[in-house]
Amino acid sequence: MVSDSDHLREKRVVFYKEDVEKINEVLIEFLKLSDSKCNILIDKEGHMVTKAGKTGAIDLQSVSALVAGSYAATREMARLLGEDEFSVLFHQGRKDSIQLTLVGDRTILATVFDERTTIGMVRLYAKEASEKLEEIFRAILERPPQEGEDLDKNFGEDAKGALDFFFVD
Amino acid sequence: MVQINFSLKEVNCKVVYYGPGLSGKTTNLEVVHQKAPKGSVGDLTSIATEGDRTLFFDFLPLNLGQVAGMKTKFQIYTVPGQVYYNSTRKLVLQGADGVVFVADSKKGKMPENLESLENLMENFREYGMDPETTPIVLQYNKRDLPEIYTIEEMDAELNRWNCLTFEAVARDGNGVFPTLKALAGQVLESLNRQHSGGSVAQRRPAAVAVGAGVAAGGGGGQQSAQASPAVSVGQATGRAQPMRATGQAVPMQGGVRVSAKNQSISVAKNKKKNRSKGMLWVMLGFVALAGAGAYLHFSGKLAALLGQ
Ligand SMILES: Nc1nc2c(ncn2[C@@H]2O[C@H](COP(=O)(O)OP(=O)(O)O)[C@@H](O)[C@H]2O)c(=O)[nH]1
Ligand SMILES: [Mg+2]
Repeated sequence: MVSDSDHLREKRVVFYKEDVEKINEVLIEFLKLSDSKCNILIDKEGHMVTKAGKTGAIDLQSVSALVAGSYAATREMARLLGEDEFSVLFHQGRKDSIQLTLVGDRTILATVFDERTTIGMVRLYAKEASEKLEEIFRAILERPPQEGEDLDKNFGEDAKGALDFFFVD
Repeated sequence: MVQINFSLKEVNCKVVYYGPGLSGKTTNLEVVHQKAPKGSVGDLTSIATEGDRTLFFDFLPLNLGQVAGMKTKFQIYTVPGQVYYNSTRKLVLQGADGVVFVADSKKGKMPENLESLENLMENFREYGMDPETTPIVLQYNKRDLPEIYTIEEMDAELNRWNCLTFEAVARDGNGVFPTLKALAGQVLESLNRQHSGGSVAQRRPAAVAVGAGVAAGGGGGQQSAQASPAVSVGQATGRAQPMRATGQAVPMQGGVRVSAKNQSISVAKNKKKNRSKGMLWVMLGFVALAGAGAYLHFSGKLAALLGQ
């Protein structure tokens, strides 16, 4: 029998405030060191976890979905070529470029940068950052499930109301 | 996999529209994009071929709004239906929190429906997902066509888990909202149940509870025990009856639809649709490597989003 808490961990990913604050620190440091424009941390399902830097007009939800899809497609290519996984992915643009770095096995760090810096700098510091992030994730996974913060007791009731309100046929 | 982010105060869920090619999955998303309240949906991004066939996926971000203090969002995807795109289809399915299976009601399409359903089950198995506990709803689309299977025939062939089913004419916008509403309800209810410490293994009762506005009969007391082993029993007995939302759920009210359309026009104006064209060569060159082909296309999409 799988316990409820195991189920919880299996079926959903929870990011607590303290965790995200630690992640943000790493991202901000990386942002400065690499001189990149912005950094977005995305889980493999394509949901954004957090971000740092100027994301301005970027449609973060769509970018996150495409980054995750892009990564998934690359992983499949790697498999077909007999590679384990490509851990870094790079798209070069005229003005901006984007680098995707795998962090652990569940998240992707997307770094947007321009000619103020170089791919070499970004790659160097991204490696460092991703190692730090992996450590944070490892600590999260090893920690027993937290008691404190969870969804509100009214979540179910509220959800019904929100659905009725939204889906007016 | 649902992401609960207490830092962003967000709940993120992934929903996938599955089904054979041309059954109406992309059309469903287009309708949701048009009919959703202003500002609640983002761009509809389609990674499609010249002929508007889905190459990798369509993507629509939907913001349901505040639920108990959490901004609750759905990321909605469609998969390419064509049989030979299984690698990309599988990628899109990964981590899904709920599935809408869009079946084609047109006479002669049952083999394709069945093949797609089998493929879904196979991909579920590979990901260790359980059709008994993963929220799934069935949509019987194209009910407007003259030569269609009866609902009983559709149920008998496709509804193996006593799922909620919906009749739809997606092209006219009918049945699209009730389908998504029911599935979204199941996903959130399952999340809520996990939260409140109940067993995760039961899902059908919740489906009925949340879909109640849709399924007239309610039938709130459904036990999952009935749903599990009873593959063929479900639709043979009257039990499936109250679960089906059919007729009542899809009132063909022209007036309502018109006003919804008016509203949607303004939505569509500032949220420009993002269908892309002109990558047929990618398809031709990479049919065998569908994943790779889609991927190339995709960098273009990313670049566009980053303002290149
Ligand atoms: N008659 C009819 N045609 C439909 C309906 N829904 C979608 N279609 C048409 O079926 C075709 C395929 O739809 P599409 O959404 O691209 O299918 P997909 O391959 O599942 O994404 C399009 O020409 C649609 O206009 C429907 O309810 N009735
Ligand atoms: Mg399509």
